[in-house]
Amino acid sequence: MTEGQLRLRLSRLLHSRAAGWLLALLLGALALFSAIALLALSGWFITAAALAGMATGYMLDVFRPAAIIRLLALTRTLGRYGERLASHQAALGLLRDLRSAVFRRISHARQLPRRSNEAMHRLVADIDLLDQFPLRVLLPWIWASLMALLLLGFLALLDSRLLLAAAPGVCLAWVLPWLGYWRGGRLARADVEWAEARRSFLLDSLRLLTPLLIWQRWPGRAAAFTAQDQQYLAQQDRQQRLISRLTLLQQWALAASLLMVLWQGSLLIEDGLTVPLLLAAALALLGLNEALLPVAGSFVALGLSQAARDRLQALGRADQPTPEHDRPVPQAPFTLHLQQLSLRWPGALSGPSDLDLQLYSGQTLLVIGPSGGGKSTLLHWLAGEPIQRQGRALLNGHPPDHWDLAGVIGWLPQDVDIFDMPLADNLRLGNPAASDAQLWRVLEDVALADWARERGLDTPLGEQGSAVSGGQARRIALARLLLAERPILLLDEPFAGLDAATREQVMQALLRRQRDGLLIIASHQPVSAPDLQVVRVGG
Amino acid sequence: MTATEPAGRWLQRLVQGQRRLLGLALVLALTSAVLFILQSWIIADLFGHWLQSASGAGQGAPGAGWWPILLLCLLLRPLLQFFRERLCQQASWRARNALRQLLLQRLAALGPARRALGPDAQLGSQLLEQVDALDGYISRYQVQRQLVLWVPLLLLLATAWHSLLAAALLLVTAPLVPLFMVLLGHTAAAASQRQFAALGRMSGRFLDLLRGLRTLRHLQALPAAQSAVEQAAEDYRSRTMGVLRLAFLSTAVLELFASIAIAMLALYLGMGLLGLLPWSPGEAPVSYQSALFILLLAPEFYAPLRQLGSDYHARAEARAAVEGMLPILQLEDDGEAAHRRHVSAQPGVGNPMPDGSAGAVSIHCHHLSVSDVGIPARLPPLSLQLKPGDRLLVQGPSGSGKSTLIHALLGFLPYQGELLINGQPLHSLDRSAWNARVSYLAQQPELLPGSVADNLRLAAPQATDVRLIHVLQEVGLWELLRRLPLQLNTPLGERGLGLSGGQLSRLALARLLLRDTPVWLLDEPLAHLDSDTARGIGELLERLSRGRTLLLVSHEDTGLEWLERRIRLEVGHD
Repeated sequence: MTEGQLRLRLSRLLHSRAAGWLLALLLGALALFSAIALLALSGWFITAAALAGMATGYMLDVFRPAAIIRLLALTRTLGRYGERLASHQAALGLLRDLRSAVFRRISHARQLPRRSNEAMHRLVADIDLLDQFPLRVLLPWIWASLMALLLLGFLALLDSRLLLAAAPGVCLAWVLPWLGYWRGGRLARADVEWAEARRSFLLDSLRLLTPLLIWQRWPGRAAAFTAQDQQYLAQQDRQQRLISRLTLLQQWALAASLLMVLWQGSLLIEDGLTVPLLLAAALALLGLNEALLPVAGSFVALGLSQAARDRLQALGRADQPTPEHDRPVPQAPFTLHLQQLSLRWPGALSGPSDLDLQLYSGQTLLVIGPSGGGKSTLLHWLAGEPIQRQGRALLNGHPPDHWDLAGVIGWLPQDVDIFDMPLADNLRLGNPAASDAQLWRVLEDVALADWARERGLDTPLGEQGSAVSGGQARRIALARLLLAERPILLLDEPFAGLDAATREQVMQALLRRQRDGLLIIASHQPVSAPDLQVVRVGG
Repeated sequence: MTATEPAGRWLQRLVQGQRRLLGLALVLALTSAVLFILQSWIIADLFGHWLQSASGAGQGAPGAGWWPILLLCLLLRPLLQFFRERLCQQASWRARNALRQLLLQRLAALGPARRALGPDAQLGSQLLEQVDALDGYISRYQVQRQLVLWVPLLLLLATAWHSLLAAALLLVTAPLVPLFMVLLGHTAAAASQRQFAALGRMSGRFLDLLRGLRTLRHLQALPAAQSAVEQAAEDYRSRTMGVLRLAFLSTAVLELFASIAIAMLALYLGMGLLGLLPWSPGEAPVSYQSALFILLLAPEFYAPLRQLGSDYHARAEARAAVEGMLPILQLEDDGEAAHRRHVSAQPGVGNPMPDGSAGAVSIHCHHLSVSDVGIPARLPPLSLQLKPGDRLLVQGPSGSGKSTLIHALLGFLPYQGELLINGQPLHSLDRSAWNARVSYLAQQPELLPGSVADNLRLAAPQATDVRLIHVLQEVGLWELLRRLPLQLNTPLGERGLGLSGGQLSRLALARLLLRDTPVWLLDEPLAHLDSDTARGIGELLERLSRGRTLLLVSHEDTGLEWLERRIRLEVGHD
């Protein structure tokens, strides 16, 4: 994928469902035209009728206008209904596709989102804002311009002086919304930021609710949230006020136009302009309100769309898709040689240094050392995290980046992720094709089978595993990893919170499963294995 | 009718607070309607005069006095509408802010038990989007609901003055409109509710998957995650479309009524003026001036109804939103009675803390148990006695209720049996007074994005840098932080990214040390520390907890050998 393909363009949003948008455009134009024409024609009809009634002998064709009036009443309604269905069908389909595409982009980006709350807000609320561009900017502007032109054309047909009288007001009402372009855009950009800040603040607050309550810091936190909420609401209020003001000015411009047309028309009646046509012109001008007023808010809507687009763009900016070289997959038996290996997190001052070891298939490596000494750093590096390395490291005789290790290495980090799905679904993330029997086997291996039998495989685990204890969550994550059947296992504190007997049971299962692979464990608990190497990291 | 349902009651209660603003807005809107009648009459009169003079019947120019009044009407009406919008916005703004405060208060009273109401992402969307979904109900529906009665009535009277038949035509079509609306409104409310549920589910699913992206990627489970996302997005799309389809249909029906009525009116008036009506041949029942006046009024007769048709969905949306919040909103009403043995969340409600000598605290449990509280927490009956300064280690397998015991002691869970603090039942105490005596450390230390110092000061806002450095030294973190360029201001990411698990626990312990409380309730404080450090921290705990009442829950006893009193909980079977 090139950079260009990743770009979100508001105008491009319309390409995917061009037919739907075009249909919406036509139906909407038809509906607006019918609404204005219905009013104008009705006015013309009764005035012409009155004229005919007064002047004896003057015949009026009654049936054609009557039929058209009835037709307009229908097209107005059906046009509007059809337009709404077509445009929203297109818009909602677009949003769904965008959500899928943006999630794909986030999940494949090299840099994972730093704050998942923000990323979630973008996927939900920001994407919802993108349909404002077609629905509240593009379509209304086309309709407004079209109707204004049609009306001015109609006036020109009647009399050029009538056109001159109406044009300034109509043009002004068309131009006025552009005054909101800068301010509306600025307010809208601030809006999305405020909304996101408010959401992050709330979610962080909820996460810390219990400790904050106990520390008696909750009232302060709640008050801070209320203040933030008020600021956001005030910000939205500024947008509303801008729109209301522009609407007010537009209405005044159209009112001036109406007065001018009436005044000019009264003079033209003596010049041969018929009263029915003058009334039709005046009523059409009144009806133009319906077409022109919706664009008052268009620039706020445009700003919201643009700001949302920019934020979504930024979410994937660090996106350089991982190069898909055809790297070979290492096969058993495995050998891992480390010589004088030193590792540093970018910017870190210390880390594991001068490690030497040789590890062969079937062997177990126990990494020990004090907290913060670099046990986890070593495992992170082995798992392929971007960590600076000095010294030699060879896997099956080649540097690790020679190999495609994605399906080879299984890593249990210190903080495990449990998803808000049933137990079975969580486990099957490791292997979507796993049978129930396989699930039970692996639960047996991590000493959770008894517990799972009580609850069933469908037991929900809750958000971030809130329905299970911390120790259970770790073992569920371990079970999930075992299901993935990775020949090289990197386990960071797999036994935390287990008693000695359970620990032994899990260890035996690990040894059995990794008979032909490598098993690397960072732990501060004693571990017994037949072919065990111990390496001490960090003093 | 609506007042008997809880959702309707809550909506009324919300609007009640903003009655004055909304009342004023209604007055402005009604004034505008009167001006509209005047404006229409002036236009009809002008055209009447012009038609007369054009047909030669000439009564001369229309009264010049009409022009300034017409100008005034045309200027004033938009202005009135402007102020009406401002007032309604103000009302909506205030009501939403107040409701949000209330919801947050209710959640705070639940503490960790809020999990039973749904994941935090879902609660968050209830507090944000769903409260904001009330906007249309307050800022548009409330005034419109009154207008829909008064404006057509005014216009009807004006019409009836000129033509009873035209007025009757309007009157006949009008009642059909609200009838149809009510029918659609009921289904729309249910559809909105489903849409909200889908939105909550979608947000929750996204957050869940985004948080675990690293794991998903490592497990090569991204295709599964992608399809979960697509499914949630499609679910949300189809439900939204369902809601909109209903909304559009009801608006379309209303518009159809309005369009047909206007068309019929125009034809009737036109035929009448031509003298073609079968019942009054050759004679116009309504004069041209009156006919035009009626025609001008007719669209406005239906306008409030049409507007209400689209705002009716604001009501359905609001009802659905409030119904989603009911579990939180009704907590106090039902909750208080059902869980009498619950510590009150309101400050100053319970009894003051009875002080032992020198602030010491004793804890006495007799057949204390937790069960059937609607959330996944249980504790088999337990009796224990902690005198001031007693230190107890609680051991037991996962799921035996160790954490539940601590939550109950903190006062967040309703309990059965007896739980006395300095001889007073816990549920009779003021929660904030009790919390001031307790320090608590959870299994997973919760951090806010911010610096090390920010996170420490969460627990003790007044602590000086010197004090912070002191506690960091005591947990063995200062050596590390001292060497970093920003020291105390070193930023921590989500979940304390940048610190190892052991360092996180140390930071949490440092936070605990900052609070000087007589009771310490610790949940697996040493689980992530290696044995050397665990011993070090254990010694520190031993030294610092002397004289305090300590209850410590742990699997391991490395570093805790000094705790002589121990009890063991077993997994309860039933």
